[in-house]
Amino acid sequence: MRARVIAGGVVTSAAVLVIGWQLGGQPAVTAQSGAATGSTSGSSSSSGTGSSSSGTGSSSSDSGSSSSDSGSSSSAGSGTSSSVSGTFAGAATQTQFGPVQVQIVVADGKITDVTALQLTDRDGRSEQISQQAAPILRQEALQAQSAKIQAVSGATYTSEGYTTSLQSAIDKAGL
Amino acid sequence: MSVTTFETMGTVVSVRGAATATVSAVRAVFAGYDRRYSLYDPASVLSRIAAGSLRLADSPDEVRAVYALALEWRDRTGGAFTPHRPDGVIDLSGVVKALAIRAAGAALDAAVAPGDSGDASWMLNAGGDVLVRGRHGADPWSVGIVDPDQRDVVVGVVQLDDRRAVATSGTAERGEHVWRRSAPTFRQATVIADDIVTADVLATAVVAGDEDDLRRITGDGTVDVLAFGVDGRVWATPGATGLVRAGSPSPAA
Amino acid sequence: MIDTARPTSTPPTTGPFRGTAAPAEPLEVAAVRRRRAGRRRAATVDLLGILAWASAAMAVTLWLVTPGSHSVSGVGGWLTDAGIVAGLIGTDLVLVMLVLAARVPLIDRVFGQDNAIAVHRSLGKPVLYLLLAHGLLLTLGYSASSGSGPIAETIALFSTPDMPLAYLSLGLFVAVVVTSLVAVRRRLPYEAWHVIHLLSYAAVLVALPHMLSVGSVLAHGTWQRVYWIALYVLALGLIALYRIVLPIVVTLRHRIRVVAVEPIAPGVVSIHLAGRDLDALGARGGQYGVWRFWTAKTWWHAHPVSFSAVPGRDRARITVRDLGAGSARLGRITPGTTVSLEGPYGLFTSQARTAPFLALVASGIGITPVRALLEDTDLRPGEATVLLRGSDTSQQYLWQETAALAESTGSRLYAMVGNRARSGESWMTEDDLRRGVTLRSVFPRLLESDLYVCGPRAWSDLVVREARLAGVPEHQIHQERFES
Repeated sequence: MRARVIAGGVVTSAAVLVIGWQLGGQPAVTAQSGAATGSTSGSSSSSGTGSSSSGTGSSSSDSGSSSSDSGSSSSAGSGTSSSVSGTFAGAATQTQFGPVQVQIVVADGKITDVTALQLTDRDGRSEQISQQAAPILRQEALQAQSAKIQAVSGATYTSEGYTTSLQSAIDKAGL
Repeated sequence: MSVTTFETMGTVVSVRGAATATVSAVRAVFAGYDRRYSLYDPASVLSRIAAGSLRLADSPDEVRAVYALALEWRDRTGGAFTPHRPDGVIDLSGVVKALAIRAAGAALDAAVAPGDSGDASWMLNAGGDVLVRGRHGADPWSVGIVDPDQRDVVVGVVQLDDRRAVATSGTAERGEHVWRRSAPTFRQATVIADDIVTADVLATAVVAGDEDDLRRITGDGTVDVLAFGVDGRVWATPGATGLVRAGSPSPAA
Repeated sequence: MIDTARPTSTPPTTGPFRGTAAPAEPLEVAAVRRRRAGRRRAATVDLLGILAWASAAMAVTLWLVTPGSHSVSGVGGWLTDAGIVAGLIGTDLVLVMLVLAARVPLIDRVFGQDNAIAVHRSLGKPVLYLLLAHGLLLTLGYSASSGSGPIAETIALFSTPDMPLAYLSLGLFVAVVVTSLVAVRRRLPYEAWHVIHLLSYAAVLVALPHMLSVGSVLAHGTWQRVYWIALYVLALGLIALYRIVLPIVVTLRHRIRVVAVEPIAPGVVSIHLAGRDLDALGARGGQYGVWRFWTAKTWWHAHPVSFSAVPGRDRARITVRDLGAGSARLGRITPGTTVSLEGPYGLFTSQARTAPFLALVASGIGITPVRALLEDTDLRPGEATVLLRGSDTSQQYLWQETAALAESTGSRLYAMVGNRARSGESWMTEDDLRRGVTLRSVFPRLLESDLYVCGPRAWSDLVVREARLAGVPEHQIHQERFES
């Protein structure tokens, strides 16, 4: 009788596992993937970044990411030659808080949007991931509203550099 | 608001919210640090240590304490920040400026007359490293972050409501002066923290390090960072993302 | 003195037993029917076993269907995934262990409570290893992935919500398993061991929050989460139902109380019980219950004791030997004491028969279930043979009753009295060993019999060993092991 149980158990378990294997194997996210030509790969790529639902950047802590999608990220301002448009999902990376993946929308070779397709739960843990710095979308530069700031912070200016800096303008205006 | 500026440590310091006498005290603080730690002044203690005419063991306690602090930060940043130049010379400039700002801040706090202590408000900007106390009138102190590519353009505004210090490290002004241990990943990093030493050291560490360093540094949520990569990507912690995304006040007519 | 060579003939006693009439069904037909029932039972047991295996495979499958689980990244990823799988299988087996200990009537009917507990025990250490591996591999995996050391990672994990509870759960499991190791358990008083063992419920419950909040296998909104919670509900529900609710219902319904405590031999008492509708308890001869006597000194001891007679409508009897601190006080229970009952349990009944003939072997206190079984079986003359073993006259309690039952059913009864043979390991007396008595000589149709053995553990093991060597099939050997 024991032998029957073991044999039956092994067979049933194998069946369950095979079915599970077949059902699984999905990447962490169902994103529509546009046609990708070489150069524009997800900006998430090998760094395995994602963002939480609030739309802020977050990255995985897994530096050994398996995502083979490691093409150089396209940058908005670097003027890659392709005129690719579409939506791309970067490879998912497993982190201790779950899989993280980023989807980017590209129009004419420029990244126009970055959204998170990330599946961790909402609560304290995903805070940890999202506290980390991650690439965000580069916006258009903002003009300084000089009436509203009292200082600027950038690379340290030399004494000479100060004279032509924003700071000196602000200081002179007595703001 | 009265603004006073003076030159020190190779840069310019701007002080707001301090009486003239207090500004002199602040000046003296910076001068003292400059004298001890500048590598450009051959008479400074650090220059003499670098030249070999003074042993570190014989240097003033304060110098050794600063050196110890720098080593501590080296450990905390996993080596991204280090007081050691590739040629072996000890360069404490990365931490000295921040220590000077901190000491100057203490002087500013001490200068508040008794009875006014609850209302102290001042801002100190030393070459782009900012430390504040209180508010600018009814609003929090606001610091603009300079675009690394265009020095007269601001890409974001930090409201110092909760945190007190902003420090930026980058190569835009003075060229490659940051000692890196890997291929450059970031060309500018702004750190918003509760104290100026942390902000300054971590800003240097990010520029000297790579993406993993940045992740590790920002992992515990005690600082906010806005970093510009050499590849054009912009990295931000959630708290800093709001700075760039949030609509700026529309340009004044 | 009763001789082994001659069957006994003593006048029937006034004991609570019913006379049994020979059944109308021929022997062979009955045997065929029983074999079929036995095969059905065996099939059910197999099914349950396969279900247990499948549940473990299902636990792994929960991970397999988690999106992203098929892409493993680096050493850290492998360690993490191994840790996740170890935790899933380990927890699933914990739930299986709970079901085994829940005293589910179905399991008792087809498998037997004692076998279920034996399987439960055998799972203890492997499950603990799996859970420890779960914690260790995950810590190592996370620390490898994030570049921090294991210590830093443990500290980070501790600050994750619900994780301190998970560590607590692991600690409780360690305590439970360690105290259940035979070497440790022997040194602990039973009640102390039992209280610590109850901590396993706490361990199971306290581990649940982190399973539902950390990691992505049981994420919100997935069917995996629903399935897992359902498993928990099932296991804990069975425990609540069959270990708590049902005994309360039984106790309240039947209002059992002590009527008399009758010493029948040095150190042996029969406790006569009264109650309502005790025949509706469904107690078969040979079964036992877990009894609790509600006096100030005895209420926290629960005693597994066999019915020594088939319960009548309002009377029942159990017979127990004073063993150790707990049962010693049983002799001093006063009439009128309320009694609560968990049970009846046990597969040591004629329900478990699969063969035409019946061979009963009992020694000392082992007579209790055998006597009850004899009473509860419809026997044809010559169908059953009984062998009673005792070391001296003080060990012959209930023998008269058994002899009377045997006579009234036309069954053969032999008695073997004397100390155990010193030459070689034997269950027999020296004399009988030298005379060449064997099981087959006592029970000529042993190979076509169901052999029921009850007595001191070491002694009954020897009987069973001889039976196996003689070629009795395993499913025809029934051994009632009294826990010491």
